[in-house]
Amino acid sequence: MSGAFPALLAWGTVVGLDLVSMPQMMLARPLVAGAVTGLVLGDVASGLRLGVLFELFQYDILPVGATRYPEYGPATVVAVAAAHYAGPFGVGLATVVGLFTAMLGGVSLQMLRRLNTRAVAKAAPALEAGDVGALARLHAAGWARDLLRGAAVTAAGLGLVVLTIAFVAPALTHHGERVLSVGATAAALAAGAAGILRIVGRGTALRWLAVGLVGGVVVAWLS
Amino acid sequence: MKARLAAAFVRLFTVQASWNYERLIGVGAGFAAEPLLRPLREGDAARYRAALARSTRYFNAHPYLSGVGVGALARAEREGVPAEQIEHLRDALAGPLGSIGDRLVWAGWLPTLSALALAAVARGTGLWAVAAFLVVYNAGHVALRWWGLSAGWTRGVRVATALQEPWIRGAARILTPATALAFGFALPLVALWSGELFRGWARITLAVVAAAAFGLLRWRPDVLSGLRLGLVLVAVALVAGILWR
Repeated sequence: MSGAFPALLAWGTVVGLDLVSMPQMMLARPLVAGAVTGLVLGDVASGLRLGVLFELFQYDILPVGATRYPEYGPATVVAVAAAHYAGPFGVGLATVVGLFTAMLGGVSLQMLRRLNTRAVAKAAPALEAGDVGALARLHAAGWARDLLRGAAVTAAGLGLVVLTIAFVAPALTHHGERVLSVGATAAALAAGAAGILRIVGRGTALRWLAVGLVGGVVVAWLS
Repeated sequence: MKARLAAAFVRLFTVQASWNYERLIGVGAGFAAEPLLRPLREGDAARYRAALARSTRYFNAHPYLSGVGVGALARAEREGVPAEQIEHLRDALAGPLGSIGDRLVWAGWLPTLSALALAAVARGTGLWAVAAFLVVYNAGHVALRWWGLSAGWTRGVRVATALQEPWIRGAARILTPATALAFGFALPLVALWSGELFRGWARITLAVVAAAAFGLLRWRPDVLSGLRLGLVLVAVALVAGILWR
């Protein structure tokens, strides 16, 4: 993995930055993060597979305002790396690494917000005096902190990939990896379906969901 | 003025970079507004500093619609509207800009396109689906940001009229069923595609475990999140996988 490490670290950092700080162009969306990681590693199939899986997990959360949520962007980057290096049936192991990284990412977002709050409180007199230099420095510092945060989360996730492949993968039999992949995929499908129901809500929209389900089943049946 | 608007527009893409619990996106909004306030500095430095100080105070909005507030408040400062009225406008805008943006973008435009992209990937379109998602999503995203800033800057203290434009109500009316329809369409295709990895007992187990896990998530949403459920399931599967020889 050492050859791809700088590219993965750079991409994971960009993905981490995109979620909140800039430019919020949905590079942090698991489907996008996974597909690009797949391109970087020359393994688009794993990129799309894990991208879809974590996109389903992402449906479980609505990133509104100050809510706490896991961060699935860098998590998908490291999960695709894990799947790529773990070989066939690496989906399960990749999901383990990805979910832990997502949790770590969520915690790091809380820490970032607290650090920003502290910095703003410290700079309050300058802000209240209309000091444009202090404003620019404060804003740039928030951006830089998020950059470091994204890099740290990705690096920690990639470290987990190395440990998992070195110590966990050899302990798994083919059956074992299959059980893990089933568990991971089932969790993603359940989280996605539950999240979808929460977003759709009740009333007329539920009827539209049913219409869509029928359409999807028909298309799946015909293929 | 176009150059100042362009500078503010570019800065709006970083509006959440200094997000904090005290002023939320206030600091980012002030940073974005600064190019629009800069002409005040030439005439009256004290007025410029007072306006800049106000622009960094507590503010909340959906990031894509924050330009409405930034533009309107900067315009009000430039027109010499009294400070109390500007503070009042700032407070009044925060709620609607958050709820309209959440409804249009986080619960509408984004999930609709994401679901369609998932369905397309499941149907084998591969990277094209991802590229199309990015292009179409961001066409709407960038257009919304630009509309917000222009509407705010053009209308100033009368910016509330912009939030009552028919296209906003129309988009919300269309996006709600479209999101549900796209989700419904994508779900069976994605489930089938995910199941293709498995054969025999594994596929049956996948269906049973997914259904049971979905039931659990619906039963105890206060305790279980997707992440927690995922961690529990993979932990159990990992132990089973290591023991099964």
